[in-house]
Amino acid sequence: MPVGPVESLSREEIRLLQMERLQVTLNRAFLNVDFYRKRLDELDLLPEDIRTLEDLRRLPFTTRQDLAEHYPYGLFAVPLKSIVRLKITNSVLRDRGQPIVVGFTRHDVGMWQSLMKRLYEQLGVMDRDIVQVAFNFSLFPGAFTFNHAAEAIGATLAPSATISARLQLQIMQDFRSTVLATTGAFALHIVETMETELIDPHRLHLRLVLLGPDPLPAATRNRLEDGLGAPVYGLYGVNEMVEPGMAGECPEKAGMHLAEDQFLAEIVHPVTGQPVAPGHEGELVLTTLTAEGYPLIRYRTGDVTVLQEARCGCGRTLARLSPIHRRTDNRLSIRGIPFYPEEIENLLRELDPVLDDFRLVITTCHGIGDQLELLLLRESTRDFPGGSRSQYLEAIRSHLRRVLGLGVRVSLTDRERMPGEGLIYKTVFRSAEPFCPA
Amino acid sequence: MLQVKSLSARYGPIQVLRRITLHVDPGEIVAFIGANGAGKSTLLRTLSGLHRPSEGEILFEGEPIHRSQPDRIVRLGLVQVPEARQLFPNMTVRENIELGGYVHGRKHVEAQLASIFDLFPPLAARPGQKAGSLSGGEQQMLSIARALMARPRLLVLDEPSMGLAPLVVEEIYRTIEALHDQGTTVLLVEQNAMGALAMAQRAYVLESGRIVLSGDAAELMDHDDVQRAYLGKEYRHKWER
Repeated sequence: MPVGPVESLSREEIRLLQMERLQVTLNRAFLNVDFYRKRLDELDLLPEDIRTLEDLRRLPFTTRQDLAEHYPYGLFAVPLKSIVRLKITNSVLRDRGQPIVVGFTRHDVGMWQSLMKRLYEQLGVMDRDIVQVAFNFSLFPGAFTFNHAAEAIGATLAPSATISARLQLQIMQDFRSTVLATTGAFALHIVETMETELIDPHRLHLRLVLLGPDPLPAATRNRLEDGLGAPVYGLYGVNEMVEPGMAGECPEKAGMHLAEDQFLAEIVHPVTGQPVAPGHEGELVLTTLTAEGYPLIRYRTGDVTVLQEARCGCGRTLARLSPIHRRTDNRLSIRGIPFYPEEIENLLRELDPVLDDFRLVITTCHGIGDQLELLLLRESTRDFPGGSRSQYLEAIRSHLRRVLGLGVRVSLTDRERMPGEGLIYKTVFRSAEPFCPA
Repeated sequence: MLQVKSLSARYGPIQVLRRITLHVDPGEIVAFIGANGAGKSTLLRTLSGLHRPSEGEILFEGEPIHRSQPDRIVRLGLVQVPEARQLFPNMTVRENIELGGYVHGRKHVEAQLASIFDLFPPLAARPGQKAGSLSGGEQQMLSIARALMARPRLLVLDEPSMGLAPLVVEEIYRTIEALHDQGTTVLLVEQNAMGALAMAQRAYVLESGRIVLSGDAAELMDHDDVQRAYLGKEYRHKWER
């Protein structure tokens, strides 16, 4: 698989290219976006005062909140006339109800597509491949890019969108699809369907499977590789920039190569905002380098990762992101339903003011949250609010079901049997293997 | 080949270049476009050592040249074709060309002369004519020919199309492309944005001493900002900003 010129620059050359492009981003943001100009003015800085990565750290972070506050066009750097695509996110569950809109110029759309093309090419997808793209376009507008990039490299595209797993399998067999691009959850569903329909993976012709945009747990990858009989690769994107295309795995499966010619990455401590030592875990902060429509400077992604700068076994020098398994904001997910432990805590404290402590126990299957159990700790084993002990537990259970839309097991425990907190606030993970449903 | 890092230049109190960073790779044609007073010519004068930068670095083939004398820079292979030709009008065509090679010595001049005349048949036909009596296009050719005598590895041209008729401009551009095909790297400054972009592979747009756009020349040609700035395509409505 050929390695492109940008992908094999030395670290020094990449740094120089990034600084050259950063000057353009800063100049354009300063001249065209009031939000950024005000920020620089407040610090009494001009764009040319940012000469190095260290200088860049003098600028404040841009957060999701900033994006929402400047909805709709406050952060656009070009007139609407130059925008050729809008990406509107307004999912109540994902973003706590605040809409965000991102604009792309012709250059931005071309850049986005070329990055996705690069991800295909680094996996060896070529003009002889038959690429089946199974995404829900309304939930994931980036799915277009899978299609356009596949056509751009001359592959045969079979967009199968959201049709049933059974039909997907039919297409896969009839047209001998060699590449499947879909989400982890849907790929698992396809594998389950294969098992119930008794379809042997040998009847498929898949060469590889590309999963996005959600992180790909190792357990899911293993199960899918067994079930589909092909290697499975993950990719990474940021909804407010470019998703997918920003980063993706090569055949080495040793992290996701980040398009450093287009994005400048920093890894910071989520609390202090200070840079972490090289090779250490922290929050990914990104600055766009050529985005014209919606430049973002020091955008906090909320994703926790490690940036590895060492040359990859595939010969590429672009730094790699380790798989993202955590976020800085404690967001959890059970079967795709996101929630925050802090929200559950508020809810419990309202129902029971004398509650001492609690734990969320999340049972995972193939690396994906499957069931939620709630352990409550009360020093006083009498005077339950709402009546008896069982009435108290039932009240909490039904309340959670109403709020989360999720059945939760609720029980009382004592201090000795209470599990210790994990990395996420009040939360413990347990794997259900080998008792997961097929 | 050329790496410019955070380069600033000023004329007295006036800041002309504001910490610009750019590069030219071997074998490229790179264009610099921008309006009058954007800082294009100052950039070229600074590259050639005719103007001292107030800040920043210029690396040519890895060697810092921002404190070097102009003749040293020419000897390294960074050669400029100045704005408005800057010929010696009372000297002949041949003499003007010979002067271009003086840094490399008489032997070099004699060896090179024939191949230079091969490149420019109109000049070869009149080696004894006074430079001042040539047409504008021929003077521009002579100016390029003189620069070629210095064996440029990076040929820097300041507004080669200035004051020339469109047909002559095309001929000059063809000459530059031919030189590029022979392996010369070219950095070109132009107000004639479309002509420069058509020839170049990559381009930078300079505005008030800052680089505000860079990228693939073909892409920039269709770019709204470039169209607006150079073709006067204005907004129809105020809210288009």
